[in-house]
Amino acid sequence: MKFPNGWWWVECIAGLLAPGDRETVLGDLAEAGESSGQSFLSVAGLVIRRQLLVWRSWRPWLAAFGLAMPASFLLMGFSVSVAQNYHAVIGATVAQATGFKVGPGFTMLLCDIGLLAAWSWTGGFAVGTISRRTTWMSAALSLLACTFCLARFRIDSLSRLCLLLFLPPAAAGLFLGLRIARIRLGAALAVAITITALTIPQWSKPGAWLPNWALSWPAWYLVAIASRHKAPLRSVMHGE
Amino acid sequence: MLGEFEYLIITAAACLGENAYSAAIRDEIENATGHKCSIGALYTTVDRLEAKGLVRTWMGEATPQRGGRAKRMIQVTAAGVRAAEQFYNAVNRVTRNVSWAPHRRAMETCR
Repeated sequence: MKFPNGWWWVECIAGLLAPGDRETVLGDLAEAGESSGQSFLSVAGLVIRRQLLVWRSWRPWLAAFGLAMPASFLLMGFSVSVAQNYHAVIGATVAQATGFKVGPGFTMLLCDIGLLAAWSWTGGFAVGTISRRTTWMSAALSLLACTFCLARFRIDSLSRLCLLLFLPPAAAGLFLGLRIARIRLGAALAVAITITALTIPQWSKPGAWLPNWALSWPAWYLVAIASRHKAPLRSVMHGE
Repeated sequence: MLGEFEYLIITAAACLGENAYSAAIRDEIENATGHKCSIGALYTTVDRLEAKGLVRTWMGEATPQRGGRAKRMIQVTAAGVRAAEQFYNAVNRVTRNVSWAPHRRAMETCR
């Protein structure tokens, strides 16, 4: 059966529904012979109702406003700090042409890079696990935070892109979190302990405990969900 | 206890029997009530009924008049039948003596 032109919009908005829903709703509308305008409104109504139902839970609020947005601001700050350290340690070594010397500054830099990658990955994974149906909102809030900071970035010696160093590991964590419900308990524990150990050098800095714990709790959240469900891992296609 | 829209869906599905699927139930409700039944309300209510264990749904066959898309078949469970009976009895009891009840109207016509 060939659908009229206006159905393109209906198919687009139906893309926001789960695959099973999309199939049956579009079939029902075709059978009822409704116009494309009426069909668009019908599908939009269903999409809105579905989203409203999802937002009645605490999970989407935690994922979007409790994790994605604040963690994006904190990780951008930490990304800049890592970029500055890299500039100071590696840049100075190359400028002096003294070769590759491993000193305390270099070790700290490696710790910071590892911590940035681990915090970003676990944060992304937790966002995908806590509320997979509202990932679009979490991603939008994170991008909003990035846009806000990119517009206000004023450090001449650094590129603006250094703000976004956290994005690749966060995106990798998010995609894996959407694909599998959780990681194994052993792996989750190893990641959480590593993150906590990597934050130890930061404990001496005044006021660092708040961002440290704000960025570390997703790792311990992964441990908690892994220990709660010790059953074998399964692939999750859709649903909470 | 069921809501009235939940009752309409269960009753329509029970009447349609093996041919109960979302579009047919929608037609049945629109014909019975004379009001438009939105797809959003129908699907979210069917989901709620399924979560309560009052109906069971599965993907049915695809037909050409549906553009080759599958149907969402709906079957009322035993718990759904009990809940509908409860709702029906409650409505019957509460409307026993009201002026618009059919037997009451018949009695008034005899007088």
